[in-house]
Amino acid sequence: MMLKRFLRSRGMRKLRRNRMAMVASAVIGLYALVALFALFGGVSLDDTKRRVWRENTPGFLQPMSKEIADYTLDWHADKWLRPKMEAARRASDERSRQFSFDTAALGQRTLADLPGDELIALWDEAAGIYDEWRELQDTADEANEELEFFRIDLDAERAKDAPDQDMIEELEGEIEYYEGQLEQAARAPELAADLRAKLLELHPVPTGVPGMVYRAKLWFGTDSKGASIIIKGLYATKIAFQIGFVTAVGAVLIGTLLGAAAGFFGRFVDEAVMWIVSTLSSIPYLVLLAVLVVMFRGSIFDNEARPALALVPLYAAFGMTFWVGTCRVIRGEVMKIKELEYVQAATAIGFARPYIVLRHVVPNTVHLMFINFSLLFIAAIKGEVILSFLGLGVKGQPSWGIMIAHSKDQVSSGFFWEILTATALMFGLVLAFNILSDALQDAFDPKHVS
Amino acid sequence: MSKTNSGEPVLKVRHLTTRFRTDRGVVTAVDDVSFDVYPGETVGIVGESGCGKTVTSKSIMRLLPEQVTIIDEKSEIMFEGENIARLSEKRMREVRGDRIAMIFQEPMTSLNPVFRIGWQLDEALRYHTKLGRKQRRERAIEMLKLVDIPNPEKRIDEYPHQLSGGMRQRVMIAMALCCEPDVLIADEPTTALDVTIQAQILSLMNSLKEKLQTAIMLITHDLGVVAQVCDRVVVMYAGRVIESGPVADIFRRPQHPYTQALLDSIPKQGNKERGLRLATIPGIVPSLWDLPHGCRFQDRCKFKEQRCVDGEPVLEDGPDGRPVRCHFPLDEARHPQHLAGRHAEGA
Ligand SMILES: Nc1ncnc2c1ncn2[C@@H]1O[C@H](COP(=O)(O)OP(=O)(O)OP(=O)(O)O)[C@@H](O)[C@H]1O
Ligand SMILES: [Mg+2]
Repeated sequence: MMLKRFLRSRGMRKLRRNRMAMVASAVIGLYALVALFALFGGVSLDDTKRRVWRENTPGFLQPMSKEIADYTLDWHADKWLRPKMEAARRASDERSRQFSFDTAALGQRTLADLPGDELIALWDEAAGIYDEWRELQDTADEANEELEFFRIDLDAERAKDAPDQDMIEELEGEIEYYEGQLEQAARAPELAADLRAKLLELHPVPTGVPGMVYRAKLWFGTDSKGASIIIKGLYATKIAFQIGFVTAVGAVLIGTLLGAAAGFFGRFVDEAVMWIVSTLSSIPYLVLLAVLVVMFRGSIFDNEARPALALVPLYAAFGMTFWVGTCRVIRGEVMKIKELEYVQAATAIGFARPYIVLRHVVPNTVHLMFINFSLLFIAAIKGEVILSFLGLGVKGQPSWGIMIAHSKDQVSSGFFWEILTATALMFGLVLAFNILSDALQDAFDPKHVS
Repeated sequence: MSKTNSGEPVLKVRHLTTRFRTDRGVVTAVDDVSFDVYPGETVGIVGESGCGKTVTSKSIMRLLPEQVTIIDEKSEIMFEGENIARLSEKRMREVRGDRIAMIFQEPMTSLNPVFRIGWQLDEALRYHTKLGRKQRRERAIEMLKLVDIPNPEKRIDEYPHQLSGGMRQRVMIAMALCCEPDVLIADEPTTALDVTIQAQILSLMNSLKEKLQTAIMLITHDLGVVAQVCDRVVVMYAGRVIESGPVADIFRRPQHPYTQALLDSIPKQGNKERGLRLATIPGIVPSLWDLPHGCRFQDRCKFKEQRCVDGEPVLEDGPDGRPVRCHFPLDEARHPQHLAGRHAEGA
């Protein structure tokens, strides 16, 4: 009822007229949907670790050069499929052979639905093409190299005052031979196309929804273990919401209750609360967070195998520090409200003071609770990223901070997809929340009410 | 005290003295105030701004901030045979709202903006009665009907901001009266309302008083309001009672120069035609911090003499037989022209 009244209030109407705020809310809603989707099993922790393609595949913006394409093909045939297919060939019984086939799956992409023998036959054909392609590539590489040397030698010989005719002829012969070799090697792209076709037959990209899912997982490339970056990003969105929501709710509740008590009862309650507040706020909060997280080290909360528990130190650290700001704001507001006549009227009806605080005063601070919730939500998300980057935050599961920490080495070698995805997702959410909390403040701060 | 009412007073205030601790030291805002409220009558407490009317009423309700308020030992607020100035907070909560109710000056902020008025009425009933949910709602609607709110079945589900100021004050009255208190304290209930609404609210209070037999303690600085609804008046000045008595007597024969000055400052029909300007009381109310030695009204009094500076008068029966705090109370001989006019008007 309180909420309904809040949603119908003048501030809310003002907020609804603010187009930016509405866009921001829609964006946040979208994120929330993703987070909910992940929460209810749409993206599991295993999904974030499963290999979907080779390591460090770039995402959609980076054009595939010939080198990268060749490298990828080589990886697919030689590094990925060959061991599995050879293991299947060596397998003593049907079950272990099937197991080897199963290990060839890359996400939604599994081996063709054919009898085992046909799969192996297909592989043999592919392996044949591969070997030929490889050989041609080697030949071409060698020819290119040799040609370069011979051409230099030839030029040098010709430039001499008295060129040795025999030498020149010999060199020309060599050059002719290697040019011939190179011509043969020009067939390599053809073979590559053949190989690609064969591999597609053996290891087809699924059609329909699974195919879309498979391709979607590759949109933003893969990380250093071949796992999908976008899946990690989506899972990390859930983690971000989880941390943001739990800590913001916790901190707003603690802050509101303590702030309301301090503001309403005054005297020693106020002194005690404000003492804690000023003590906590005199410590730089990241330092305090780091200390708290280090304190939890070695406890059951510091176990990679139980990632859900590993979040508890973060919740505790954020919850303990973030309520301070809310407490201050609510205290001030309550000091104002308690002088209003409806509070006196409630006292005049005979209600007890604790009841009046909870039932009459606190409901009048809902707007502040909302503003603070949105501020703390982003603060928690940003805090998570910083702590995880420092290795003090999330453990055993991907988060935006973990993704950014991971991409430290990748970035120096020119691979920026993981850091890009993590920061873009974070940026979008933080920006949306900032716009929303600004709009909330505009709509509800009496100083702004027009 | 006047004995116009027979029987026991429902509320008996004796020597009420309220002090505040402030940064500049202790200040006495209400000084030795005594009066009675009899069942079913309306007592007006009148005085200029700052004279301690609100402090008096909040002292009775014990609504003043505990930390800074000192209610003097000798103060007695007798209600139903008990001194409620000494009651425990827990017992006091049973008295508040149920036995003595209060309504406030500012109808705009007297209702909690985040709750429907039905909820707020219901809350009071839930607290003080044992009625069931449906009965409480019926009672709430009945109360709204009683205070002349049109369409109460619909209004009960509205929020305070959907109501006008006059409506809100009616709701406040309904809330105050829903537990049928013995005494209703109304602190300037009509000051914030415009004149027509003011008149409606006052006649509403008058008719409710008759219907419910609730004693009303009406705080106001408007003698016009007093004339309309009160049976008796207590005039206060700078924290002290300076005169009290039945309305008719006070209006006809004021004994204290201040009361008379207040009466002169009421706009009256015909004065303009007669070329008379509205009288004002010269000077200002003395600050509680430096009250003059002697009579507190001396600086503004037309009849000031040395005795007024030498010592403060006590509250004792004056020439008209009513208590007055003045060394030289007015009588017919001293103020014939004024009284003549008033008699003429009264006739
Ligand atoms: N909490 C407090 N601390 C200190 N002084 C106070 C406090 N409350 C009231 N006073 C003082 O007590 C005096 C009487 O105030 P009170 O509110 O009773 O006046 P009033 O007669 O109701 O005036 P008005 O007609 O303006 O409502 C004033 O001088 C005021 O400054
Ligand atoms: Mg007042």
